[in-house]
Amino acid sequence: MSSIPSPIPVLSPLRMQRHPRAVVVLTVALLFAGGGLMMHAESQIQVLGLLAAFLVMFAIADRTPLGQDISAICGDYSGFANGVAFVCALGLIVVFRGEHYTLLMLATVALFSTACIALNLQLAFAGIANFAGAAFFVLGSYTAAVMTAYAGIPHLLILVVSGIVTGAIGVILLLPVLRTRGHYAALVTIAFGLLLRSLLEVNDTLGGPQGMKIKGFSILGLDFNRVSSIGPWDVSFYLPYAVLSICIFAVAFTLIRRIERSWIGIALDAVRSDETAASVFGLSIARWKVVAFLIGNAVIGVAGAVYGMMNGFVTPNGSGLGDSLLMLSIIVLGGLGNFWGAVVAAMVILVIPEKLQAIQEFRLLIFALLVLAILLFRPSGILPRPIRDLSRFIGRPGAGA
Amino acid sequence: MNAPLLACGGLTMRFDGLVALDGLDIEVGKGETVGLVGPNGSGKTTFFNVVTGLYKPSAGSVRLDARDLFAKPPQMIGRAGVARTFQRSRLMLDQSVFDNIVVGALCRLDLGLFSNLFRRRRWCDELGGMVDRARALAHRFNPVIADRLFQPAGSFTMIDRRRIEICRALIGAPRLLLLDEPSAGMTHDETRQLMDDLLAFRQEMPDLAVILVEHEMDVIRRVSDRCVVLNFGRKIFEGTFDALIANPDVQTAYLGVSQ
Repeated sequence: MSSIPSPIPVLSPLRMQRHPRAVVVLTVALLFAGGGLMMHAESQIQVLGLLAAFLVMFAIADRTPLGQDISAICGDYSGFANGVAFVCALGLIVVFRGEHYTLLMLATVALFSTACIALNLQLAFAGIANFAGAAFFVLGSYTAAVMTAYAGIPHLLILVVSGIVTGAIGVILLLPVLRTRGHYAALVTIAFGLLLRSLLEVNDTLGGPQGMKIKGFSILGLDFNRVSSIGPWDVSFYLPYAVLSICIFAVAFTLIRRIERSWIGIALDAVRSDETAASVFGLSIARWKVVAFLIGNAVIGVAGAVYGMMNGFVTPNGSGLGDSLLMLSIIVLGGLGNFWGAVVAAMVILVIPEKLQAIQEFRLLIFALLVLAILLFRPSGILPRPIRDLSRFIGRPGAGA
Repeated sequence: MNAPLLACGGLTMRFDGLVALDGLDIEVGKGETVGLVGPNGSGKTTFFNVVTGLYKPSAGSVRLDARDLFAKPPQMIGRAGVARTFQRSRLMLDQSVFDNIVVGALCRLDLGLFSNLFRRRRWCDELGGMVDRARALAHRFNPVIADRLFQPAGSFTMIDRRRIEICRALIGAPRLLLLDEPSAGMTHDETRQLMDDLLAFRQEMPDLAVILVEHEMDVIRRVSDRCVVLNFGRKIFEGTFDALIANPDVQTAYLGVSQ
């Protein structure tokens, strides 16, 4: 922490350290307010203004002692900050309760972020480059479609089943992924994505190229698609989906964060960075790759199931290599191994092109340039992965993510 | 010497036409330090790789305390109590010192998914115990490492990284430790410090058997109880350091001229 006095007395390092939780709440709330405005903004001027404001804030956080102090405090209180973020996300839903489009966008960002955190588990921790992320995502949607159509089980259970089915289909890939390394394993996953897409397109049972309709989510008799008001408020039917998506994100986040901050996380890092050394110290390379790959695919499948139910249909279109690359570029852009980085990058990749019509045609070109620029000038991403500091858990039983 | 801890008999390693180890017999007793020397390419590191299971030997036998470890997978050999360091440092430089050290003990910890994810209280207790052990171990080598246990391993000097590697090898309480050129790339002073460290922990772990590969003859002289000299994958000498210095075969192997 720096000792340089801040020009703004309220933000002096000493004062901030005395009220760290207040600093965390203010920072997170400010970020979420900005994010909410971005999703809500309609004029291009507003979007550009917000984008500029974010860049300035990012530069401050990255380069000035004040920003570094705030970042450090948020890092020290990361568990608390995550809780505040959850509340803020729910707050955004309340604020935008009546707006279909904003809520749809929020839920989409939450679900893609969930899938990207799972990809982080695979790539950033276990070192498996999964170029079939979108394929597993769509598999989750198809599972939900089949289950809602033919099986009369509670929809919450369908989410679990989607995860299990997606994970189980991923088993097909285990052998080739374990027997190949690096680029070759990546090629295997690319081939899987292409094969799956062809299969879905020619398979009439699953609707062929037209895809399938999916019934909306319902829980305890509450059909999400029919929700139009809660108490005195008129709300969008996307509202319950947004809440569900945020909850799915929170569960996946907690789960994978705990994996990272446990012996398993260290084992995964050891296996990724040096298979030879890891095996000499008694770690089974195959076991940890399997664990990361299967859990990752299952989480992607659950996110895909919710996404499919929210949209009401699924087609083979979303399972292509392009969409998988988009997911991978989100985690590279956000910073490999940084979960919040994935959320920020998901915003950049999913929301901004929707808002800036001017760039929509060139969006793929712009993503490519953005990813290139990040790889060249900031290879660890927008938010680099922080070092795993387990000292905070010593003598603090029950501390979670 | 009592019944040997490690017994290798007729150990042979062929890479296609090249014979890297040729019928090697090496025994190491409990608490013994064996210095393994020989010119470049004589098979020292190959021997380590065969013992730790990274290479599958072509023939022979490897036993650790009567347990057959011949051509077993490395993780099984690691769990049986064989630990090693590498000639070129193999640390996770972005990860903290503690993460690096604890890798050496992971296979003895509870790696179950359920207990790691949902029994956090128990996990925190286990973590506390491991941190204490890692800190005590690091402190023996260099108090600075113990103080900066949660900083990236990459922020340390070469000698400290090597110490971290030795801590990683020791934290799993191995029965046999293989040190592959611990002094490589170090200055004279650093080498001396490292030797002091090695001798210090040697006394605290009287049962640990050590095989040390080293080119620095001073190190071999100070640390080892017995020396083995390899040349072209064969054992050409076995005995005390003084006998080694006087041995004409060894001189020939090293200098390439007969006297």
